[in-house]
Amino acid sequence: MISLIIRIVKQMINDKRSLALILIVPVLLLSLLYLLLGDSSYVPKIAVNESFPSTILSELKNQDTEIIILESSENTEQLVKNNKVDAFLEINNVGIDIKMLEVNSVKVVKITDVIKKAMTNVNPTGSLTINYIYGQTNGSTFDNLGYMLLGVLSFFFVFLISGISFVRERTTGTMERLMLTPIKRSGVVAGYTLGFGIFAALQSVIIVLYTKYILKMEFVGSVPLVILIMILLAFTAVSMGALVSIFANSEFQVVQFIPVFIVPQIFFSGLIPVDTLPYGLSNLAYIMPVYYGCTALQNVLIKGFGIEKIWRYLLMLLIFIVILFIFNTLALKKYRKL
Amino acid sequence: MLYEGVILKIEINNVSKSFGEKQVLKNITFTAIDGEILCLLGPSGSGKTTLIRLITGSLECDAGEVIIDGIKVPHISLMKNIGFMPQSDALYLDISGYDNMLFFGRLFGLYGKLLKQRAEELFTLVDLSNESNKLVINYSGGMKKRLSLAIALLHNPEILILDEPTVGIDPVIRRVIWNQFELLRQQGKIIIVSTHVMDEAERCQQAALIYNGNLIAHDKIENLKTQTKSGSIEELFFTAKEIGVNL
Repeated sequence: MISLIIRIVKQMINDKRSLALILIVPVLLLSLLYLLLGDSSYVPKIAVNESFPSTILSELKNQDTEIIILESSENTEQLVKNNKVDAFLEINNVGIDIKMLEVNSVKVVKITDVIKKAMTNVNPTGSLTINYIYGQTNGSTFDNLGYMLLGVLSFFFVFLISGISFVRERTTGTMERLMLTPIKRSGVVAGYTLGFGIFAALQSVIIVLYTKYILKMEFVGSVPLVILIMILLAFTAVSMGALVSIFANSEFQVVQFIPVFIVPQIFFSGLIPVDTLPYGLSNLAYIMPVYYGCTALQNVLIKGFGIEKIWRYLLMLLIFIVILFIFNTLALKKYRKL
Repeated sequence: MLYEGVILKIEINNVSKSFGEKQVLKNITFTAIDGEILCLLGPSGSGKTTLIRLITGSLECDAGEVIIDGIKVPHISLMKNIGFMPQSDALYLDISGYDNMLFFGRLFGLYGKLLKQRAEELFTLVDLSNESNKLVINYSGGMKKRLSLAIALLHNPEILILDEPTVGIDPVIRRVIWNQFELLRQQGKIIIVSTHVMDEAERCQQAALIYNGNLIAHDKIENLKTQTKSGSIEELFFTAKEIGVNL
């Protein structure tokens, strides 16, 4: 098993392309996403009524905003629709009502951000309610998207590379040769899982640290816990890659499995809130490793939960790993009954 | 007694194998003994590789059995005793030849100095010493074959099973390889070689002729030759074709 791990490590180091796909591409993609959704020179245009409290208004003006004060007779919805303003603010008894056109992550983040900052100086306990004219999703797309991508990216790349590597082992005949040595079947699967697991773990550490310290995404939860989730998720990805390779006769056929095994998992990763799904489709989430991984990530990153609150998700990932391990070991019987 | 004084033998007893509807091998029976090279002769598609897989234990017989040294195949204790060279090169292309060697060596339980020494010995033997640190992806076809052979010999097995070891190898290297087989034979190993090149049979002691999944002949080479008018083994296949040996 150790020899298998050494071999995989050597192979990966020599295969610069795969190495880059696992270690560098996720970082580049996250950076790209960060630039696309994050810091732009966009200045939000915020409209308020004459009756809006001047304390908050002056705080808002201190920030990078363009404030428009409306006469009460104007049709605010029409203004927002015509893109004359990005948001319309109204005060209510608990805090501020924000009316925006649609769920557009850059604008939503920027606007809620400035309003939150303005509020902290005036009324820190006040709440924000956001209403969209089109689409009624409450909650921040950007946060979910970023954290979801942490999980999905690492899962996808690890799945792809381990699946292809496993299928290559079968097509080149090295698997047959491997199985004619005294190695145990479980040793082959364990060696593979750990060999790729090393790179997957390395990837997780790089992605998490990069996101936290370079992109400076706000993490509430503990970094080691996030890395642990990512590693478990990556191990599941290795095992799934190996499983898929059983049903594939070529590298291309592994790629053909992406729409079957990866795309549905992306849907259930938090991109669409699972609890809003119709027809009981949300139950499908329970068979998707990415669902457990991403939900755990979200709980740790956004809500700052500790291991005592998310251990169930980790346990489910472990169960996936064990089941896939057993399945893969049995599948090798094709090469040797022992 | 035909097998008197034989220490090690591979018995193939009434072996049959089908893939789905298609029967590939039918009631094959013969025995290979130590100190002899047995060649499996037959046109491509005749079932040689399938038979080899049944002998190594990669495939399971539908009927019949393969017994090596009194032990029914597959058995984990046999693995250390068999050196197998598949028809495809079965090498890891993205690591060096030397790393391939180390990998398989470790799987056979060779470690440290012993393994390195053995690897260097074999690189010299197959004339790849200067190439051992290159990635296998940069090897030529012949070099891959030679590396694959070296790996089969790595753990010094008593039994060598080689599936078309000299395909695509130039005549000079081919001779070197066959001289090596002869040397190993003299050490008392069992060697089973599949080939479709008839003149390679001349260097073996026994031949098993496979045609359309049937064993049409199995005997010592000199006996097989006397069975034909021209003295060429090839003719036995023509006879088989004429009388229409089918499954």
